[in-house]
Parts: sequence; C-alpha cells; structure tokens
Amino acid sequence: MAFLQVTRAVSTDGSVWRTNRAIVCEWGRRMRIWVLAVVLVSAAAAVPAAGPQTLVYSWSGNVGPLNPHLYSPNQMFAQAMVYEPLVRYTAEGGIAPWLAAAWEISADRRIYTFHLRHEVSFSDGTPFTAQAAKKNFDTVIANGRSHSWLALVAVIAEVRVIDDHTLQLILKQPYYPVLEDLALVRPFRFLSPAAFPPGGQTADGIRAPIGTGPWRLAESRLGEYDLFLRNERYWGFRPKIERIRVKVISDPNTCAVAFQAGEIDLIYGDDQISPFTYMLFRGDRRYSSGTSPPLATRALALNSAHGPTREIAVRRAIQHAVDKEALVKGVLLDTETRADTLLSPTRPYCNLGLTPRGHDPALAERLLDDAGWRRTDDERFRSKAGRPLSLDLCFIGKSALQKSIAEVVQADLQQVGIRVLLKGVEEDMFGKYQKEGAFHMIFNDTWGPPYEPHAYCSSMRVPSHADYQAQAGLPMKADIDAWIARVLVSTDENERRRLYREILSTLHDQAVYLPISYTTGLMVHGPDLAGVAYGPTRYEIAFEAMVKKQAATGLSPATEGHHAQLHP
Amino acid sequence: MHLIKTLLRRKLNWVALPLMLLFGFTALLAPWLAPHDPEQVDLSQRLAAPGAGHLLGTDHLGRDILSRLIWGARVSLGSVLIIISLVMLLSLVVGCASGFMGGITDSVLMRICEVFLSFPTFILAMFLIAVLGMGMTNVVLAIVLTHWAWYARIIRSLVLGMKHREYILAARVAGTAPWRLFVRHLAPSILAQLLILATLDIGHMMLHVSGLSFLGLGVQPPTPEWGVMISDARQYIWTYPEQILFPGAMIFLAVMAFNIPGDTLRDSLDPVIRAEEV
Repeated sequence: MAFLQVTRAVSTDGSVWRTNRAIVCEWGRRMRIWVLAVVLVSAAAAVPAAGPQTLVYSWSGNVGPLNPHLYSPNQMFAQAMVYEPLVRYTAEGGIAPWLAAAWEISADRRIYTFHLRHEVSFSDGTPFTAQAAKKNFDTVIANGRSHSWLALVAVIAEVRVIDDHTLQLILKQPYYPVLEDLALVRPFRFLSPAAFPPGGQTADGIRAPIGTGPWRLAESRLGEYDLFLRNERYWGFRPKIERIRVKVISDPNTCAVAFQAGEIDLIYGDDQISPFTYMLFRGDRRYSSGTSPPLATRALALNSAHGPTREIAVRRAIQHAVDKEALVKGVLLDTETRADTLLSPTRPYCNLGLTPRGHDPALAERLLDDAGWRRTDDERFRSKAGRPLSLDLCFIGKSALQKSIAEVVQADLQQVGIRVLLKGVEEDMFGKYQKEGAFHMIFNDTWGPPYEPHAYCSSMRVPSHADYQAQAGLPMKADIDAWIARVLVSTDENERRRLYREILSTLHDQAVYLPISYTTGLMVHGPDLAGVAYGPTRYEIAFEAMVKKQAATGLSPATEGHHAQLHP
Repeated sequence: MHLIKTLLRRKLNWVALPLMLLFGFTALLAPWLAPHDPEQVDLSQRLAAPGAGHLLGTDHLGRDILSRLIWGARVSLGSVLIIISLVMLLSLVVGCASGFMGGITDSVLMRICEVFLSFPTFILAMFLIAVLGMGMTNVVLAIVLTHWAWYARIIRSLVLGMKHREYILAARVAGTAPWRLFVRHLAPSILAQLLILATLDIGHMMLHVSGLSFLGLGVQPPTPEWGVMISDARQYIWTYPEQILFPGAMIFLAVMAFNIPGDTLRDSLDPVIRAEEV
C-alpha cells in the first residue's frame, strides 16, 4: 500500500526526484540501524551475561504511575510488588500478619488495634510508623467517592495513632470483612509520607511510587518497559532476583513468540497467552508449565433492565441453550473448568448446593415457546408481537478468546432461535457499555479471592458496575441491595450464611448471569527459572520467591535444547 | 473491442481475466457453490485437516474453510463494488461542479480535496471508523470518504480539458442547458475513462477492506471475510499454517487478478507509454 501511495505522489505532483531521494535516505537510515543492531547483538552474544540477575516478564501495557490508592491505569500486580498491606490473604483463605505483626479486636467488633512491625522502612528510608499509616488511611477515606464499591472505606469513623507503632481503626458499625479488605491490593496499602503530593491528597497524584515492598520502580518507558529493582532496604525475605524488567507486549501471540525467542522468561497469569499456545508449550519438553487453581468466574452478565433479556424466560433459556461443556473443551481446551454458579462453591459462604442448569436446547425452546417467542418452521429466529428475538453480545474486540467464546455462544443461541449480534469493541468503549448498562449480554468476570463474596457483592450496589446494571431490572433488586448492606455489618455468623444464601440463590434463580467457566492462570517458563508458584490471589505474583539459575543465564534459544537434556 | 484487444496483448491477462471472472462468479453464486453453512460452528470438528468432509479443512471453531472463503469473496467483492460506485458518484459530482463552474466553487472544493489528500488513506480511514464506530457500513463509508478526493481531482482535470473543445463550445452557443450539455456531451467520455480508473483501484480497495477487517474494525463475526479469517488464524500460524495460507492466497489472487488488467489499461491510456510502443 505504501508503494501505491508513492506512485501516486509521483504521478500527481511530478516530484519524482524528491520522492526517490526520500526513499533512498530512508533506506540508508534503516540500513545503518540494522548494521548497528547486528553489531550490538553479536557483541552481546560474545560476552557472557554476567550482570545482575534479571527476570524479564511481560504485561499488556505499562504499569502506570503506581498510585497505591487509585485504580486503572495502575496495574495491580505492580502495585502489589511495591506496596504492602497490614495483613495478608493466605492460600488457605485465612489472614496472616504482614506489616501489622499482631492485632486485637474489641468485643463490640468496632475497634481494631494493630501493632505494627518495628524494623520496616519505605524504600526512600522513611520509617514506616503509625503516623505514616494514618496519613495513608486518611487520604483514602477523604477520596471515598472513588472507593464506593468498598464498604470498609465508608465504615471507618476514625484512624487513631496510639504510639509510633500502634494504630487503631474505629468503625461506625461492626463490619465483618475488615481484615479481608485491608489485605486487598488497593486501596489500603502504604505510600511513603515523603511521596505525598503538595496538597496531601493522593487523589491528585503522587510524587514517586515509594512503598515498603520488596521491589521499587526504577524506570518506566511508555510503550516499551517498566524496570523494577530489588528494594535493598526490604525488611522481609530478600529476593535472589535483582531486577525485573516488564516488557510491554499487548498481544498474546506476540507474547508467545517473544517467549519462544527467549526475550521473556516467564508467562504467568490469565489472558497472557491463549489456551491453544499454552497447550503447545505444555507439550514442549523444554518448558515447565502449570495452571493455577480456579481463580475467578468467567461469566456473561444478562441485562434484566434492557431488551428481551428483561424476561426471565429468555434469561433462563440462554442458560440451557449454551453448551458450556463443549466451550470448555473446544475453546478453553480444558485449561478451565465448567462453572455452574456465579461464585465457585469453594468460596466462603458459597457452598449452597444450587441446582446447575445443564445444556438442554429442547428445554430452552420450550421456555421460549411458553413465553410467547415463537417461530414458524421456515423462520430462523423467533419473534413476539412482530418484535424479533435479537440480542447483542459485547466483547473486547482484540481478545481472541472472548471473540471465540462469543461466536460459540452466538451459534448455540441461534440453534434455539435467538439471534445474536456480536459487538467487538475496544476496551474503553467496553467499560463504558458495562457502566451504562448499554448491553443485553456482556462479558463480566468475577474478581476471585479475596474479593469473593463480600467485596464483589458489595460492588453490586454501585451503579457504575455491570453487575448493578444487569440486576437493575429485577423486581427484588432493592431487597438484594438491602441484604448485601446487612450481611456486611452482621456480626452473627448464622445470619451471614442465611443472607448470602438469600443473595446468591436469588441471583442464580433470576439467571442474570451465565457462568461459563472458572478461570485459571496459565504459567510457562524455561528451565533456568525456579521457584515459580501460584499465589492465593490472581492479583499478586510472587517474584520474590523466584530464582534464576546462574548457569543458564545468557543461553541463547539455540542452546536451550541442549540444556533441556540436562534436566529431562 | 479495442479495449479487449489491448488487454489480450499482454500475456499475464490471459491468467488474470479468467481469474477475475472466476471471483465474480464465486461471489455471485456463493449460496449455491458453498458446500457448508459458513457460520455453522462445530467444536468437535475444530482444526480438521483438509479432506473429504471439508475440502480445505475447518477453522478453530470447526467451520468449513472453503465455504467461508466462497462467502468471503461475496463480502469482499460486494463491498468493493459499493465503495467504487459511491466514490464515483461523489467524485463525479464534486469534480464536475468544480471543473464546470470554476471560480470560488472550484477553489473551495479543491481545498477540501487537499485536506483529504494530505492524510495517508489508511490512517484517515481508521480515524473515521473510530469516530463512526465499527462495522461494515462504516468501513465502506470511511473508505469512500478517504478516496473520493483523488478521483474528484482527476475528473476536474478531465472536465477542464474538455470544456473548451469545439463541440462543447458549439453546443453552448446553440443554447444547450448546462445539465443537458453535461449528460449528452461530457459524461460519456468522462465515464469511460473513469471506469478504467476504477478497475485500477479494485485491488487497492480490497486490501483496505481486508486490512480494516483484520484489525477487527470491519465485518463483525461470524460473517466470513478474508481479513477476519487471517486474523483468526494468526495464533495457529506455526501449527496449522494452512489456516492463514488459504485466505491469504485468496486476497493475493484477487488483488492480482484485478490489478494486472488495471495496469494494462492504465498503460494503454498513458500517452507517453503509447508513443513509445508505437
């Protein structure tokens, strides 16, 4: 196409000489760059890599300014590398001490007293004290509007400094998941007081991303990479790896090719590579691979306030029309497991014994027939009172996986006479559709632990979430919101069980979600990396436990096969 | 007749012209030619190798590739046909108005043309789609809006060249109304040259449509389109290269089939080349 443009420029204005000269110059420049690149690469290959231990990882974009108290474009995995919480969520679903070494809870469950670790300092040398912690809590609470999904922010009445290493949270009312919420990646993590902006509110931005964590952000190049260095002042376990370079690679195929070429060391997470590529790597003896336990739920939200999905019969028919088993097998290649309920029964309060809705197209057709959506033999799609049964399904256009799932759902629904229009949009637009409820069906994954069920349910009350929009048309939406409000402040374990049962079984019964599968993280790395393991949540990557074997650094991909023979 | 003789003089056209006809017939007769429903998903048959059941195999969702290619011809050629007609219409109106009226109308229209000519067409098309939204209709609109200016300028120059010919002057002196003058005397000769120009560009437009669809901006799934098929097959390039090869070959052959006759026609119209040949 570029060639066509050039010939046109020549024929219309006749400046042949200038155009040709421009091309020649361009070629000259390119050649010089290539020669330079070749020289550099051969030089790099000749010298054995000594330097610091560097791990190269990739992410779909830059990690952002790393403001610990704000959301997108800050990337959670990177926020979790730099900032730390008072307490931590464990793989068993419990809470472990972290920056707080111990804590006490008052009898009325309204006063939480935290005893902070003594030897902790921020990476700029500022000591981590109760005053520093209070400064962080206060700025989060002052920006409560941004955190409306998280009930704890509104529940804290006051944060008190008892002494340098004792901090007290005083709540307006009891709130059972206080510790779970404090363990989240955002917003309750701690920025050095020296890095606060002049106005003192992090909502306006931060001076520098300085936390107490094992890593510090050293350099960011837009569209290229982010470089993290080991925090030499870190109070805890000292990582073996000294530098982590996070390359910006937005496309799963490019990511896979970069990994094969040895440009990145590690593939880790959901959506980094396609299930198909994962299966290829899994069959390759040179690589180690693994999948995480189920992390969250891949689901479609069905809008109860808008379009034909307003009718419960249509929503229920959709549940029976989609063959999830085939989807999991044929598209997800069994890297994930089929989901029957919105939240996995393994989550707290979620083992409710809800009846799964199996694949049964005949039942789906019957439901639609009974609801008045009919079709004659020569019609492909159903209609009622002249209105066709047509639904749109929104997905992120560049996500090959969502596109494939959407196409299968479309084909399955067409079998029972529901017409589906696919709308592949770019991410900002997708977020807008979710927020405004401008959809019939939209991809809407749950958040996984430690958000489930309490924080995820809490967010269902906030209009800027797809969950709220999807539920908005339910006759009992007000009740659901009231139950959620009650469950969060209830101090009685049995009442909480009862309320969660009420909430989740109502959502299941009303069929406002089409759960598809429980997502997993996919992990692949070469033989020179050890200590790679899945953490308890999908938002944190335990880089600190990883070790790069010295012998293998600097090996080119060509010699990797030889290396693999040493480690069959 | 002269046209066909010119075309046949170049040997490559002996291949290109039948190919062109073949693509045309495929597009026209797609519903009867395709062995399967191009949108029929069958996950149990995914990525099947070419064979008796599916002549060219199946894609990642178990859809028959041959059927999708055949229907894809319809989408590609159909959209290009619409694009070319719209471009012709728009540029004919602007070009004639500009050339015929002259003066301020001419200046204003030509400056607008220059705005459109100053951007790379593909970038401008992507920008327009970002504004208009995705989908085939908008892709057609975007390509029309980015390409009309070039034609408008050519038509303007044709009109300017003819405006002062004796037979036009004679007609004007005889009191022919401007509209009639245009339809009876100007349009026939302009249209003939314009049609040749259009064939030149069919291949180029096809690449545009496929390119935008490849980026996910054009045809929405599950409509089969060659660019979309290539995009879908990208992740299987190492393991199932035929997935990307078949639609790629279709685009290559179709663009070639339309470009070679177009090039011949342009050469035959170019006075410099014609003089050399003589």
